Amino acid sequence: MKRDELMRMFPEYLRAGWEKVAEQAEGLQEIRMRVNRPATVLINCRERFVGKGGELMDRPPSGAAVTAEDMEAVLKHLCQYSVYAFADEIRRGFLTIQGGHRVGLAGQVILEEADKVRNLKYIRYLNIRIAHEIAGVSDVLLPVLYDTGGALYNTLLISPPGCGKTTMLRDLVRNVSDGNAYGAGVNVSVVDERSEIAGSYMGTAQNNVGMRTDVLDGCPKREGMMMLIRAMAPQVLAVDELGGIGDIQALRMASGCGCRLIATIHGGSLDEIKNKNYMCDVIKDRLFERYVVLTRKNGRCEVEGIYNKDGIGV
Amino acid sequence: MGLVFKILGTVCILAGCMGWGVSRVGEERGRVRNLRELIQITGRIRDEIAYGKHTMPEICLILAQNCSPAYRACFLKIYEQAGQGRGEPFDCIWTRQTGKCLKDVPLAEEEKAVLTDLPRNMGMQEEKLQAESVARAAGLLVRNCRMAEEAYENKSKVILSVSALTGVFITILLI
Repeated sequence: MKRDELMRMFPEYLRAGWEKVAEQAEGLQEIRMRVNRPATVLINCRERFVGKGGELMDRPPSGAAVTAEDMEAVLKHLCQYSVYAFADEIRRGFLTIQGGHRVGLAGQVILEEADKVRNLKYIRYLNIRIAHEIAGVSDVLLPVLYDTGGALYNTLLISPPGCGKTTMLRDLVRNVSDGNAYGAGVNVSVVDERSEIAGSYMGTAQNNVGMRTDVLDGCPKREGMMMLIRAMAPQVLAVDELGGIGDIQALRMASGCGCRLIATIHGGSLDEIKNKNYMCDVIKDRLFERYVVLTRKNGRCEVEGIYNKDGIGV
Repeated sequence: MGLVFKILGTVCILAGCMGWGVSRVGEERGRVRNLRELIQITGRIRDEIAYGKHTMPEICLILAQNCSPAYRACFLKIYEQAGQGRGEPFDCIWTRQTGKCLKDVPLAEEEKAVLTDLPRNMGMQEEKLQAESVARAAGLLVRNCRMAEEAYENKSKVILSVSALTGVFITILLI
């Protein structure tokens, strides 16, 4: 992340307090703001507190609490003074801002019938997760993700949150789309439900997702996959964070239409995924031919293991 | 020779008075035109909020591409300044630029305020409600425009008649 990009997240009157953080914007991973508590940042996997004058401290500073007014101003600024435009995202507890950074929100929930969340009010907790685009991060996977004929294996990336799933997926999409030493470039369609993969702004991808990639931004995965198959005739379909039987049904349909698949899922290991009720049949049916498990060791995201469709390491 | 001067003077006075009358009628016409323009702008804002769910800066860009040249530059400036990332609140940029744009427009202050104070009506967390809020604020323009349109024809006839009569009256007085 660049310095200017960080500063743009804050309204003018708060910017002086974020100068010091901005100096280390390259390693910034997360910003957390809580009303009546000091702001914290995660820089190169190290949590620091933001002091009154913006200085970074290891211990909680006194008198440097975020106020409700600051929180409101930041939120309004992030929503470009158009909160209504982010109503659906706020309802789901997060919004994606320019650059593909995800802002998690918490506060008081307004419910409507059947325990459905209608909205969030008194948003008092905010977590900005900085999107990282690392070109070449998926290069290491490429030799095992293509068969000898240059066709991509259906691939599932598995990792706990914060281990680089989306970063890996984004770069893999770019590599597959542009072509590489193991396979020619093909048309890739991405269903970017949370705008994290392409980081689209006004419909245009901000991140490099490849020259043959079409992005359906902000669309639920299930509907999006069907739309793209019908409309864009992709050779490869990519989705982030599978999360239910509906997503799996759509994936099966896409596979039946001849699309190759790249997807990600939350999980610590392949065994953990096998235990998810909506995934066990998928694994039994060998829908995916490669499972890539990612982990974080010593603050670095690493590939823990790559497995074939039978769950055997490759 | 004296008679020629008198005729010329009479013609000048009549032309002057009629010209004043025409300019007043033109002002009325301009007022109606500007009210219609503002109604169109607020209507477009409402639609873009309700159906497009565009953010306000995006709406400014759409307006800059679609509204009349008199307002085009104003919305383009708002869009550009909001996108510069200086962190200045959008409502300040909006109020400043629309205020500048409407400064010499022949409209009442309360009519101008519908556009300049629009950010005061923003902040709803749901697009339909937000669009309704904009529409409510624009209600004043719709009412005033209807009244201005109804009054325009009668008013213009009265103004032209009065200006012509004034010319005749001044001429008689001077002769």
